[in-house]
Amino acid sequence: MKEKLTEKRRRLSRRDFIKTSGTLGVAALLSGTERMFAAGSDRIRVGLIGCGGRGVYDTTNCLNSADNIELVAMGDLFKDHLDSALRTLKNKPGEKDKPSEKDKLAEKVKVIEDSCFVGWDAYKKVVARDDVDMVILTEAPHFRPEHLKAAVEAGKHVFMEKPVAVDPVGVRSVIESSALADKKNLTIVAGTQMRRIAHLVAIMERIHNGDLGKILSGQCVRIGGGMLDWGPNQRQPSWSDMEWQLRRWLFLTWLSGDFITEMHVHNLDMVNWALDAHPVQCIGMGGRQVRTAPEYGDAYDHFAVEYEYPNGVRIEYMGAQIDGVTDRNDQRLVGTNGSAYMDFANAIIEGEKPFKYDGPSPDPCIRQHADQIAAIREAKPLNEGKRIAESTLTSIMGRMSAYTGRALKWDWVMNASKLDLRPSKYDFGDLPMPPVAVPGKTQLI
Amino acid sequence: MKDKTDGEKYKLTRRNFVKTSAAVAAALATGTERMFAAGSDKLRVGLIGCGGRGKDAVKDCINAAKGVELVAMGDLFKDRMDKSLEELKKDFAANIKVTSNTCFVGFDAYQKVIASGVDMVILAGPPHFRPPHLKAAIEAGKHVFMEKPAGVDPAGIRSLIASSELAEQKKLAIVAGTQRRHQAHYVEIMKRIQNGDIGEIVAAQCYWNGGDMLGYWKWYERQPSMSSMEWQCRNWPWFTWLSGDHIVEQHVHNLDIISWAIGSHPVQCMGMGGRQVRTLGNIYDHFAVEFEYPKGVRVLSMCRQITGCTDSVSERLVGTKGSSYTDSSIGYIEGPKAYKYDGPNPNPYVQEHADLINSIREGKPLNEGRNVAQSTMSAIMGRMSAYTGRALKWDWAMNASKLDLTPPRYEFGDLPVPPVAVPGKTQLI
Repeated sequence: MKEKLTEKRRRLSRRDFIKTSGTLGVAALLSGTERMFAAGSDRIRVGLIGCGGRGVYDTTNCLNSADNIELVAMGDLFKDHLDSALRTLKNKPGEKDKPSEKDKLAEKVKVIEDSCFVGWDAYKKVVARDDVDMVILTEAPHFRPEHLKAAVEAGKHVFMEKPVAVDPVGVRSVIESSALADKKNLTIVAGTQMRRIAHLVAIMERIHNGDLGKILSGQCVRIGGGMLDWGPNQRQPSWSDMEWQLRRWLFLTWLSGDFITEMHVHNLDMVNWALDAHPVQCIGMGGRQVRTAPEYGDAYDHFAVEYEYPNGVRIEYMGAQIDGVTDRNDQRLVGTNGSAYMDFANAIIEGEKPFKYDGPSPDPCIRQHADQIAAIREAKPLNEGKRIAESTLTSIMGRMSAYTGRALKWDWVMNASKLDLRPSKYDFGDLPMPPVAVPGKTQLI
Repeated sequence: MKDKTDGEKYKLTRRNFVKTSAAVAAALATGTERMFAAGSDKLRVGLIGCGGRGKDAVKDCINAAKGVELVAMGDLFKDRMDKSLEELKKDFAANIKVTSNTCFVGFDAYQKVIASGVDMVILAGPPHFRPPHLKAAIEAGKHVFMEKPAGVDPAGIRSLIASSELAEQKKLAIVAGTQRRHQAHYVEIMKRIQNGDIGEIVAAQCYWNGGDMLGYWKWYERQPSMSSMEWQCRNWPWFTWLSGDHIVEQHVHNLDIISWAIGSHPVQCMGMGGRQVRTLGNIYDHFAVEFEYPKGVRVLSMCRQITGCTDSVSERLVGTKGSSYTDSSIGYIEGPKAYKYDGPNPNPYVQEHADLINSIREGKPLNEGRNVAQSTMSAIMGRMSAYTGRALKWDWAMNASKLDLTPPRYEFGDLPVPPVAVPGKTQLI
């Protein structure tokens, strides 16, 4: 009964929305969350580029974040990925707590055989389609800069997963594309959903308001499991070197950026957020002590980096992906008047102005899409490109420092480093496994 | 026979020394002369551990005060001892009273040195041996200069603390080779920090990021005639059971500064590390440890022995009203009470001996045993955490850990090399 009512209300809203936006176009008639539907066109059509697990997850959330969103095109390097993603999407319930048949996500999946593309140029074919308003970029991080560039040049709105690059050259490209997106009034949202978690938003407001006093120091620690079971462990005889590496992308630095970039960019982004800055220099160390088998590519399994932010604020970052160790995932900032503790569930300030968040925490992974859809429909600017590019470079710089053993300055990495991890050509052929970095020997580029 | 004679001589010296220092007192002396005034004119020193550091410590000791005589030497290896003796004789012929009868070789050499009529011993064997050597020296009533670190495992640390307490009861001096504690700019900066010049300390960083040490220590390839034990003992820096690994062997200096500034040992830690370049022995080549001190003060410690990287050997303390920076040559404070040390900087390796001998002669023996034991324990705890991947509490490591790296036997025979630690797999003991 309740479900039916909701369903009815929803359909009603849809109809009202179309009518309203078509004829009246008056936001004033609507209020609160309804508002987002007021200004835009009646439909937003999405293309998915990168059909792995995260692509399916983000697409599901995007389609569920507002009414009248459709998936119309898909692209991936591999047909099996694409087919599997399509199957999954067509079988997803539309809304978790209202699993009625009609709510099946399948209704919103309008992909046909002709709008599915496989191979190196699949992304080009997706962004070239006139019926795509927005793309979701969830291919391996290596490809993000090129995909973003193509999407923005083609005039598409972009939701892109973090991280957004694996090297400084890629970061510069992302910043350029983001600037272009601004000129073209295109929105870019990055999958750093921590920026939308209610308890973090609340504590950051207080930190920015000076509740800790002047920030003096901090720690950012993420230690978790080894991800040893991730991906296909056995190389198929038919797979070229390139295909093998692509299917193991998480453990290849040129594809993932290594885990400090691939995963811990979330945590480093929180530090940049809190300090409202990027680091000015860093010194890092790391290695692989456990995840040493060849199928783990050239990724390290631990990093420790000291980041120095403006005013000499030094932040300790420690990250590891090793099974059987003491897990941690937390951020801490220390100021002249107090300290803040944050993790993915808690936000606490101790000191002169104590605070503990105890409000609701709605799923930020849906919220980030809802925000973007609303911005598109209201024609409001929303561009997180530069910010996520800087957080990505924060992590890349830590990795470069650990790999080479050299202390690095932000300005040098951002402006002068020539590190470009692109292979000589993109084809399914020979590609030697890159050597694991050796500090003191691996060249700083 | 010789032992007895020397023993009697020693008693005499001791008795004279005690009488003199009690009766004449320090009042007559002033300035730098002070250290020489009150004691007996001779300080008979035995050296246990005759490698480069031991030899240099003897030189520093001789340079620190008048009347220092080296009268006995002990080492595991005759060639090491002969080489050091030769150099010492060349530089300090008048002070070197060692004879072939007072040179001892082998695992029991230290006992023989202690029994050869010395007033003081310099303990400079590999860190593994420090706790039993200190115990024997204190039980025999000797003053001690001992090199850092002072142990390699919690069992050793507990022994050190017990020996240091015994030294206190027996009024024996213990000075440790954490020479920064005797270095003018460190002393001045620490005085100001403890005076509140940087406010309340809220964080700190310390580093010993340097090269692989192969230019400093010689690596001995294993010869057919060499037992596994000999090979490991000659290459002691590269084996955890002997050196404690470089976080203990070297970085203890910087951790000691942090504990000195904060006035406490850490309460817990979480470490990581590995060997990405080094292939010798079984130690790591890099560590990063977060130490938490009382009141939630977190300290980042980084140490690395990899050549070709950016080096830094320094400490930084961050307070609510400023920060301090120190390294082996400079020290300054930034903030409202800014300060930069620009006074004289006497050689701290000599100064530590001067302070030690002065304290003996004044009858006010310094005892740094507990300090260096605790700083060593901080480093050990960091290593244990990195090796196992487990966060550790001080109280557990200090009181409950059963880690004891002593080999089954001290003899030149087979001794399997323990595997390199693997976080998440290496057992926490």
